[in-house]
Amino acid sequence: MKTIVVEQLKYRYPLTQTLALNELSFEVEEGEFIGIVGKNLAGKSTLCQALIGLVPHFYHGGYGGRVIVDGLEVGKSQVDEISKKVGIVFQNPFTQVTGSKLTVYEEIAFGLENLGVPRAEMIDRIDHALDLLQMLPFKDRAPFDLSGGQMQRMAIASIIAMRPKIIVLDEPTSQLDPQGSEEVFRAIQSLSREGMTVIMAEHKMEKVAQYADRVLLLHEGRLIDFDRPEKVFSRDDLDQYGIAAPVYTEVCKALDAKIAGEPYYPATLDEACKALVMRRE
Amino acid sequence: MSLYVNRHSLVHSVDPITKLYYIGAAIVVPFIAPSFHAAWVCLLLSVSLLLIARVFHRAMPILGFVAFVLATVIVIQSLFHPGNATAWFHIGSIGVYQEGFWYALGICFRATNIVCAFSILVLTTKPSDLVEALVRKGLSPRIGYVLSSVFQIIPQMVATMGTITDAQRSRGMETEGNLLVRIRAFFPLLGPVVLSSLLNTKERALALQVRGFNATGEKTFLHEQQTYQYSAVLQWGLIGVVIIVVIWRILS
Repeated sequence: MKTIVVEQLKYRYPLTQTLALNELSFEVEEGEFIGIVGKNLAGKSTLCQALIGLVPHFYHGGYGGRVIVDGLEVGKSQVDEISKKVGIVFQNPFTQVTGSKLTVYEEIAFGLENLGVPRAEMIDRIDHALDLLQMLPFKDRAPFDLSGGQMQRMAIASIIAMRPKIIVLDEPTSQLDPQGSEEVFRAIQSLSREGMTVIMAEHKMEKVAQYADRVLLLHEGRLIDFDRPEKVFSRDDLDQYGIAAPVYTEVCKALDAKIAGEPYYPATLDEACKALVMRRE
Repeated sequence: MSLYVNRHSLVHSVDPITKLYYIGAAIVVPFIAPSFHAAWVCLLLSVSLLLIARVFHRAMPILGFVAFVLATVIVIQSLFHPGNATAWFHIGSIGVYQEGFWYALGICFRATNIVCAFSILVLTTKPSDLVEALVRKGLSPRIGYVLSSVFQIIPQMVATMGTITDAQRSRGMETEGNLLVRIRAFFPLLGPVVLSSLLNTKERALALQVRGFNATGEKTFLHEQQTYQYSAVLQWGLIGVVIIVVIWRILS
């Protein structure tokens, strides 16, 4: 079942001439994990914001085409209505803290209170989100006292508690140290296992290759490719788009070790090991 | 940044709205009943409530600051009150008068009573509980958010300022020394601090929006409404006291 349908999406920021998104069309199946890759200013963040309606409702400007999420046309719906279906986590964990709540538990409740979720259900949802993100030990801590990784997990938990069908993550680990990044990736993996549709813009290609079902390659607002990670990362023209393939792909390319029965190079460690063993045999 | 003191006391268990009623009565009653006795009785009641709540020591710094200001009122009124007639004693050619002293003391009791009444509220109520109670009573959630976020976001802005100061200092800017050096260092800091705050505010606005901040439906609350068994009795009692004092004042 298609949960996201993007048709001929075009967007230009106010007071600019260049299109930030240029004729994008793609579809995402329910439960898929999509990685969005591309160099800076490729349109990754703009696309993420278009999926939740911040483009065009918060960022005005030139907008064309259609984005439909779970049957709801984003351009014609209010953000709070869309936020029941799609949640978004931004790059900076610090600015996602509301600043009005004293504990992590209350912070996660913020969105549910706004949406009018009954108290008993609210508590169930918060407990589930905390458990899923392994944040239960921190539930009584002050939000600003958390580390970057914990704060980002709290931001994800806040979105998860709102029970969206789709979660969009805009470079959620860009400001985190390796440990914090790993914590966040593990959390995102848990969401994917729960069947949630995950859209993640990310620069860490190894991680994208490891988790994503499909990779969407953007360049200057245009969709260049949208396919399985090994297929996208096996492209010879990645340099042209400012993208470096995962190190496993590079090694296998250098050794000409392809995935068994396919014309593509491995993109993950497991696949690379298999390909290299097979090549030796 | 909150002044709240976590204790288990009778005063803590009273809901924030009733405490607001008390503040209203503590302001109105001593001024409508302009007798010295009304002023000290009200002050005695407020101090007793601070003692019952076991937060009186935390109110001392606030009262100390107010006492300094009020001491000047006593000195000025004792010396220059227009109704001064009975001199207590003289310092050189300047007389210290009873009328002015008692008048000033009445003002001090009323002012201190107001400070104590506000201290009861802020020292025994979590800011979030107060804001939540007001939102339940119909205050706009937007205003409620502003009130409750200011307690946490201002310290974060101060921390940002510290980081930017360190960054500027590491590039050779003099930030310590005499007043002139400090003033000269302050202005170049303003730009980055204001700019980063504006950027953070924009991102925070986005984060709030996607968490239903602008939702128009009825809000719910994580915490159950704080109710006190005798809230209604206390609130009506305080209204009654104000009405009685007003009637007494009109008749007298």
